[in-house]
Amino acid sequence: MSEDPSTETAEETRGAYSWIGKNVTKPDALEKALGATEYVGDMVVPGMLHGKILWADTPHAVIKRIDTEEAARVPGVHAVLTAADVPGSNRFGLAVLDQCALAEERVRSVGDAVALVAAEDEEAAEEAVAKIRVHKEHLRPILTYADALDPDAPKIHDGGNVFQHTTVRKGDLDKGIRESAAIVENAYHTHRMDHVPMEPEAGLAYVDPSGVLNILVGTQYPYRDRRQIAPALGLPMNKVRVIQAPIGGGFGRKDDITAEIHVGLLALKTRRPVRLVYTREESLVANTKRHPMAMNFRTGAGADGRLTFLDGDIYGDTGAGVSLGAYVIKKAGIHATGPYDVPNIRVDTYTLYTNNLTSGAMRGFGVMQAAVAHESQMDQLAHKLGMSPLEFRLKNCLKPGLASSTGQLMNEGCGIEATLRRIKDYMSARDLRFKRPEAAS
Amino acid sequence: MKQRYVLRVNGRGMEAAAEAHESLLDVLRENLRLTGSKKGCNEAECGSCTVLLDGRPVVSCLVLVPDAADRDVVTIEALATDGVPHPIQRQMVEQGGVQCGYCTPGMIMSAYALLLDNPDPTDDEIRFAISGNICRCTGYGKIVKAVRAAAVEMKGQAGNGGAAS
Amino acid sequence: MAIRRGLGIGSMYYGIGYGFSRADIGSAEIEMAEDGTTTVYSGACDMGQGVMTVVTQVAAEELGIEPEQIRVVAADTGSTPDAGPTSGSRATFVQGVAVQNAAAELREQILDMASRMLECPKENLVVRHGQVCEIESGREMVSVGKVAHQLHFHGRRAAAWGWHDNTTADVDPETSQGDAYATYGWATQLAEVEVDTETGRVRLTKLVSATDAGKAINPVAVEGQIEGGATMGLGYGLYEQHILEGGIPRTNSLAFYLVPTAMDVPDIECEIVEVPDPRGPFGAKGVAEPATIPTTPAILNAIYDAIGIRITETPITPERVFFAIQEARDRGEFEED
Repeated sequence: MSEDPSTETAEETRGAYSWIGKNVTKPDALEKALGATEYVGDMVVPGMLHGKILWADTPHAVIKRIDTEEAARVPGVHAVLTAADVPGSNRFGLAVLDQCALAEERVRSVGDAVALVAAEDEEAAEEAVAKIRVHKEHLRPILTYADALDPDAPKIHDGGNVFQHTTVRKGDLDKGIRESAAIVENAYHTHRMDHVPMEPEAGLAYVDPSGVLNILVGTQYPYRDRRQIAPALGLPMNKVRVIQAPIGGGFGRKDDITAEIHVGLLALKTRRPVRLVYTREESLVANTKRHPMAMNFRTGAGADGRLTFLDGDIYGDTGAGVSLGAYVIKKAGIHATGPYDVPNIRVDTYTLYTNNLTSGAMRGFGVMQAAVAHESQMDQLAHKLGMSPLEFRLKNCLKPGLASSTGQLMNEGCGIEATLRRIKDYMSARDLRFKRPEAAS
Repeated sequence: MKQRYVLRVNGRGMEAAAEAHESLLDVLRENLRLTGSKKGCNEAECGSCTVLLDGRPVVSCLVLVPDAADRDVVTIEALATDGVPHPIQRQMVEQGGVQCGYCTPGMIMSAYALLLDNPDPTDDEIRFAISGNICRCTGYGKIVKAVRAAAVEMKGQAGNGGAAS
Repeated sequence: MAIRRGLGIGSMYYGIGYGFSRADIGSAEIEMAEDGTTTVYSGACDMGQGVMTVVTQVAAEELGIEPEQIRVVAADTGSTPDAGPTSGSRATFVQGVAVQNAAAELREQILDMASRMLECPKENLVVRHGQVCEIESGREMVSVGKVAHQLHFHGRRAAAWGWHDNTTADVDPETSQGDAYATYGWATQLAEVEVDTETGRVRLTKLVSATDAGKAINPVAVEGQIEGGATMGLGYGLYEQHILEGGIPRTNSLAFYLVPTAMDVPDIECEIVEVPDPRGPFGAKGVAEPATIPTTPAILNAIYDAIGIRITETPITPERVFFAIQEARDRGEFEED
């Protein structure tokens, strides 16, 4: 019935398995439906203090002095901490250590944490945070792609504002252009997105009697958290235990450090269990976002309907910290062709520091943005050539034996054609048609 | 100034010492340790804290505790009876309506309120009833399916003379 | 009301896991107790999408026991091995193999001991539904619990370690040529939209998602990823925007940052495609991100199909569409009703 060669095989094999392909019920679902699952914000342990963060309220500034005395005098307050109180490196970052757990001499985005408070209750902690005075000298913020690319602009980090430049080169671009019957050129802009995990970031930390710092956190990777927490706090790694608490959504956000180092530091300093729960506003302001990107794409196809070249530039705003941005934007470059056989390629990507919020991993990881560009280009080329967008994709899609933009030979697992055919079958079964190719032909 | 409030939560009289500006959600979670109602935004946008107040769904983060005094509050903790999950709870599990679970209690409470009112809702009515509850994981389809299945199951139970809830 | 309908498709491929020489590993320990119940110590974080369930199903399949006999202890540096992060759509693809390897080794231990206990060649034995069976006759010879008891009793392990290194070398620094990823996910989506040409408002009225799962280990969980992914893609395309002005957030509340509700999401039709991957567990690939990426492009293309205007900026807000229509009108290029 279907042209998809995989369907039959899959159905055959399904019969042979006892459990693969079966809808086994998730072991954690019932307790969640009962309301019994305890996320970090639901946990209470004896003697627990409440942590609170003072965030930077300005995107770019030099910190001259921080006054904490008044905050420390608020009844119920056990600790008011700044970078000077951090026993370790105070640094973290997934590609490079360019983020401070607590801001040192510089504030680089409003998502930077400046000071921490632990108190008997949240109200006291909030009151103390409001009483911390940060004396700052404002610097010109770098906010746009053009600012970041300007070599004379102030440097956000020592290495300059272009953190990474990657290049994809394949075939002969000029030849591709010469062989094109249709060329489409456009500039695409994608925006900053928040993960909005329904559970705002939270952590609970305590030092156990053996001296191990235990941190419960809704994380996507406890071992890498440990790799980052231990040096930041000056602890040996075997004195840090990270436990994934039930997590109310992550989507890449909680791949990065969120509350771990802060809540750990507060527990170390107070020797009391400390729970730190973000408000929704804090969650929307702090931690990583999806990279905004500016993409200039020129794509061609021959009279035969085969893609001839891609010539593109991708600029990604990674904000004040790289986080995973260097990989996100490099991945966008590699995936800029989409799932198609493109013989001639030039793509350059730029990972740019700005004083905007740090962008990092988010579901789709750079390909979300690239696909906005390559799929728009595909339809426009199809229309120029008078072809159906579906047939144009089927003609150009990768197949076993063809090579991706990086020259990787596709094996039998290459599934793009099967997904296209499934949509084609769906449309023909219901007599669904695009309006536009008919208009063009 | 903290005052004592008498609340009727899940059929039981409970006392809580709270300030007049505290929310029902905070009192449920902090004073009464009923943490099934979640705090997703504390500004009435996400629905994770939905409970029933005199039979109607409310976002408990927006209800001040004096306004809940001497009224009936029903939370997610009361839906299962004698350890048996409510049909909505069981169908949420079976249909795949639960992922991270953070929105789940509030979602179930909105659905529960709907089915009390309208035992045979259309899919559009279900979608409308849960439109104040944000879910970031499922895309809602399986939740709608679960509520529909629960409605059918509950009607069957009612028809057989069994307890509907 | 001037509503126009259009159809659009979006396709994508997505490198599963990490590439770029980044560690891309999985590992797990599996232990069978004397009653045959089994614990998998799996470092992979479950986000609710079902990694624990996949781990359970893979272990049950490979060991020949029932999922009900398996408990998963997950993601704790104090009790589970390092299995890498749950991100990059990699958990099933990488950790699934690690668990499969662990379970296979434990199965061999059970068969070795059963062979000694039964004085029967190992080659003639198989584990099915928690029983060691004779292959030829299908006869149940001894329960896995009894065999595990013997293993424990003799100080043998009844426990195994499995790991999988999916790390791929970085691409060439000048040309980006090379085998960038161990495998790729594939997806195509079809979107139907309604565009109100008076207000610029776009509604997604239908979405069909053909996503290649390689092998759907748990179809309902795969559908959960497909529907949830498309919904996040819809939010990206039409509603959600984190706005900074001068570096200061203006969308610091869910009153301003709009996430799709049940009223904004149409019924999403899941077309699970299965092109088995030679390197995935039982042929499985990751689907979380492949299911998310094509939605916005499909909507963009559907808008063009509806009104003949190409939107090149996201999110596709009513204002953006409204002004694009006005500009097309000014140029005399808008197809009036």
